[in-house]
Amino acid sequence: MTKKTLIASRRTVLKGAGALAFTGAMPAIVQAQGAPLQFGILTPLTGAGGFDGPRMLKAMKAVLDEVNAAGGLLGRKVEVVVEDDQTNPEAAVRAARKLIDVAKVPVIMGTWASAVTAAVAPLCWESKTFLTTVSGADSITLLPHQGYLIRTQPNNYLQAGKHAEFIASTGAKKVFVMSIQAPFAQPTQDRIKSVLPTKGSEMIGALIYEKDKTTYRSEVDLALKGKPDLVYLNGYAPDVTVILRDLYRAGFTGPRYAQSYAVTGKVLEALPPEATEGVITVQPSADVDSPAFALASKRLGIPEPDSYETQATDWASLVSLTVAKAKEANGTALKDNVRKICQGAGTKVYSAVEGLKLLAEGKEINYEGASGPCDFTDIGDIIDCKFRYNKITGGKPVFLKIA
Amino acid sequence: MPPFVAEVAQLVLNGIMAGTILAVPAIGLTAIYAVLRFPNFALASHATVGAFAGYVANVQFGLPIVPSVMCAFLAAGLAGVVSDEYVLKPFRAAGFITTAIASIALTIGIENLIRFGFGNELRGYDLPLMRDWRFWGLRVGPQQVQNLGIAAVAMALLFAFLAFTRTGKAMRAVADNPMLAAIKGINADVVARLVSFVGMGLAGLGGMLIGLDTTIDPLTGFRAILNVFAAAVVGGLGSIPGAVIGALTVGIGEELCLLFLSPDYRSAVGFTAILLVLTLRPRGILGARAY
Repeated sequence: MTKKTLIASRRTVLKGAGALAFTGAMPAIVQAQGAPLQFGILTPLTGAGGFDGPRMLKAMKAVLDEVNAAGGLLGRKVEVVVEDDQTNPEAAVRAARKLIDVAKVPVIMGTWASAVTAAVAPLCWESKTFLTTVSGADSITLLPHQGYLIRTQPNNYLQAGKHAEFIASTGAKKVFVMSIQAPFAQPTQDRIKSVLPTKGSEMIGALIYEKDKTTYRSEVDLALKGKPDLVYLNGYAPDVTVILRDLYRAGFTGPRYAQSYAVTGKVLEALPPEATEGVITVQPSADVDSPAFALASKRLGIPEPDSYETQATDWASLVSLTVAKAKEANGTALKDNVRKICQGAGTKVYSAVEGLKLLAEGKEINYEGASGPCDFTDIGDIIDCKFRYNKITGGKPVFLKIA
Repeated sequence: MPPFVAEVAQLVLNGIMAGTILAVPAIGLTAIYAVLRFPNFALASHATVGAFAGYVANVQFGLPIVPSVMCAFLAAGLAGVVSDEYVLKPFRAAGFITTAIASIALTIGIENLIRFGFGNELRGYDLPLMRDWRFWGLRVGPQQVQNLGIAAVAMALLFAFLAFTRTGKAMRAVADNPMLAAIKGINADVVARLVSFVGMGLAGLGGMLIGLDTTIDPLTGFRAILNVFAAAVVGGLGSIPGAVIGALTVGIGEELCLLFLSPDYRSAVGFTAILLVLTLRPRGILGARAY
């Protein structure tokens, strides 16, 4: 269903769809100067991503509302055309076709699942449409997208590198990595192995275990053979729960390190506190000290927007600023100019409106986002971002730091 | 003990522990197969029913482990009788493939009922977590030893029941030759209900034993079913001692492969061993019908 806004009656939707089809059919030259600019949003409003999609949509709209209130872009108002990708690649491809062929949007923002992004990205680069995403799989930015894609989510490589730096900073000299059999297992181990020695630590061994086993005693024996100071548990909640128990039984008292999604509140409830005492958990974090984060929080009226809301805030801001910088709204202009407004020596700005003002004065800008610095590599990955560390104490996560 | 010997001994010990737990539901599967002549995949969800019944008894009613394990057995057994009587029995006339597929549908249905009632999250039993005992360079967990004891007692009771009681002998008679048993006046329906009760009860007990060592969620039984099935087939589907030997073979085999291979090949090695056993002995190690 094509929607101009999230809440639309059937009649407005039909009218909207008709109008879209009509403008789509008209030659571009006939379009009146000052007709609204249309940005595409393709995000999961239903399915597994149905919790994050609507919140990302709200964050993007909030930024674009501000941009409109400040006079819009290139003298035109900005409108969004919203499609639900249903967290389903097949539905996403159909929806993306609609955005590209009918609405002819210069940008699609908001894909969430890696499978969806992998399916939609080729349509985007072939039609020279810019794509912004939160999908984390390393393979996404390795696609031959010719620059038509950026992602604000740290990829596995960046995450593993940061994890290794943090682990070394705890003073652990001998680290063992236990990973579940998953696409990220080997790349994570390789990255940790290469980063630890640069910080005075060492990966003394690693193993990849199968999921769904009822016990990991033998794996734990293998891990503890070399007497590690710290064990990195790179798995999901069901298996990490079993391993934490088995590590306790085996008498391991050193620190254990895991992703927050593997040591959830439910895991802490299911395990006796002594099995989880001292476990350090990590997750990507919004840049909570950044002025952009404070602005996003105010704009959305929530005290702590999460990583997804802040990333969505940054997409809408980056795209608006790039359009203003390039003085045209098409995918190629976006890809060629996005790095000119978010990295480099320009004046730091923390919101789209602030940046638009400076751009209008002919100044150079460097957008610093709510999710992080928003500096991108050539293939569209972010160079840096913050992580939140907690330490489990008495069966409860206690905030350590954001770094 | 020299390090290599200790390592092998530790792996064998771990394998025996894992295999004994696996043996309990494997016996259930093989007993049901012996009498009803179809592989009942609903065993997976009944193991989960048992695990959750034990959880309710242990965590919500505060019962100690042994009575909770009995609750697990009873709840799963009763669920087994009801589901067999009202769901699977009508399919049996249509042949064993149809019934086996119906049992897959049934297991998914029950699993989702549990999900509906308890949600998806992981739950743990109310148990003190103890450090392992260490001796001769080996280690073994007190909880594991208790589980091993429970499994061994359950198996011993079952063997005694089959060997020494009239009802047990009737079950063996039906398994051995249903027509002859009918001529002798043994009521096949009663035996079918009884074997569903005992078989699924054992599955529930096994589900709880797995949960005692780990955590439980609606997929607890589903995760174990492939190994349970493998154990029963390796030992000889239909043979109860076979199920025990099969479970130990699978358990120890999967552990010993860690000497040569990375742990992510554990299942692959386990199942390759199964192919090998079945190539050499197509009816399993003990062959079918050896009570």
